[in-house]
Amino acid sequence: MRLLRRLLGELNSGYEADESRIIRINDQYFSLDALLGSPPARRSLVYAGLYLGRDRRVFEPSAALMEALSKERETRKIHVNRETAWLFVCGRDVFQENILLAEGELSPGSYCLVVFDGWCIGYGRYETVWGSRMIRNCFNIGDFLRREGSTQ
Amino acid sequence: MGLSRGREFFLGRYRELGRDLKGDESTPQAIRVNPLKIGDEALLGVMSSVSVELEKLPFLDHGYRVISAGFSLGSTIEYLLGLYSLQEAASQLPVQALRPGPGDTALDMCSAPGGKTTQMAAYMGNTGRLYAMDSSRGRLYAVENNLERCGVTNCLLYHGDAAEIELGLTFQKILLDAPCSGNYVTDPLWFTKRTLKDVEANAERQRRLMSRALELLEPGGRLLYSTCSLEPEEDELNVQWLLDRSDVELSPVEGPGQPGLTNVFGVELDRSLSMCMRVWPDDAGTQGFFAAKVVKR
Repeated sequence: MRLLRRLLGELNSGYEADESRIIRINDQYFSLDALLGSPPARRSLVYAGLYLGRDRRVFEPSAALMEALSKERETRKIHVNRETAWLFVCGRDVFQENILLAEGELSPGSYCLVVFDGWCIGYGRYETVWGSRMIRNCFNIGDFLRREGSTQ
Repeated sequence: MGLSRGREFFLGRYRELGRDLKGDESTPQAIRVNPLKIGDEALLGVMSSVSVELEKLPFLDHGYRVISAGFSLGSTIEYLLGLYSLQEAASQLPVQALRPGPGDTALDMCSAPGGKTTQMAAYMGNTGRLYAMDSSRGRLYAVENNLERCGVTNCLLYHGDAAEIELGLTFQKILLDAPCSGNYVTDPLWFTKRTLKDVEANAERQRRLMSRALELLEPGGRLLYSTCSLEPEEDELNVQWLLDRSDVELSPVEGPGQPGLTNVFGVELDRSLSMCMRVWPDDAGTQGFFAAKVVKR
């Protein structure tokens, strides 16, 4: 939870997870609504409710959490076109000139969500590399394809 | 007695059941729009803007046949965002027939790889409680990815054999899309791999799962039993087995196929089996499929 809270702070998000509804399965965190209540047979449970993400060395947010954060006004985000979005999903960084719109102040070291056509596709860190300003790719939804490759 | 295997053996069985198949039928790629994230019309607009041509499948609520696409539809941004899933047309029918609704308590007994689980969540509008399970931990990773990608939030997913796992619950709607022998339309090597012995072994396992499903079903609840096998041992004969042993009745399954068989290799079955749906591969350009809707009295 500490890593999740840190990520939320870095994105300037006001998102508040109700910790009484959060359960942990191995290194993954899930939020359960009241109807799902307390799941039976916990030892066999592998996934539950809204997947928030997992603790690695940093918190790796789920697509669902990023989508929820992108709907909040205060969360820092940038908007990109399809071509840039595709490159980002493939793991590339976003150069300053390819940012269509930035919401919230971007300063070196700050984190932001990357949004295409209203949908969140990942997040990155604003950096200056060799004189070029860019959003360094931290995490993107192309991870679904990489996971498929690693679990087949 | 000849070998109970091979292309001619199985095609001969289908002829005996009244269907003269060529054995080379194929099915085009199909997608299912995810209404948890986007409406059909909006998705069609997006896909059209990237030159993907889709055609509505008239017998499906959210299913579209892919007419043309210049790239893999399993690696587009829209796919990764969960706006649609790749799901063969006939395999979209069971959940549509079961139709779990908002607020239901439903169970998917053999969940992997998760296409039908996410479809159930969509019909439930991400409300109620959807329990899903699979006995293969390796295949559950695909289910987890699909749940996350498609924005499903009402599901509890378990690792375990549906015939044995104990949740202490009963359900209003149960999907048993049972592990089966499959069919030659989706596997070019099918005729070289399958034998009648495999079919019989699968049928036995399916009966074990059916028995358990009935135990878990509330009175008045509905079980949707389906397979993608064309073999009557896994389809009509298994449903007849259930009718013979349980206080259940069948309810009609709407769809593009044929009525379930009521005479299998000369054996007369209960006439109500005609309420099942049997989809032959040349019926509607899909793979083979079978579905029965069972109501517990």
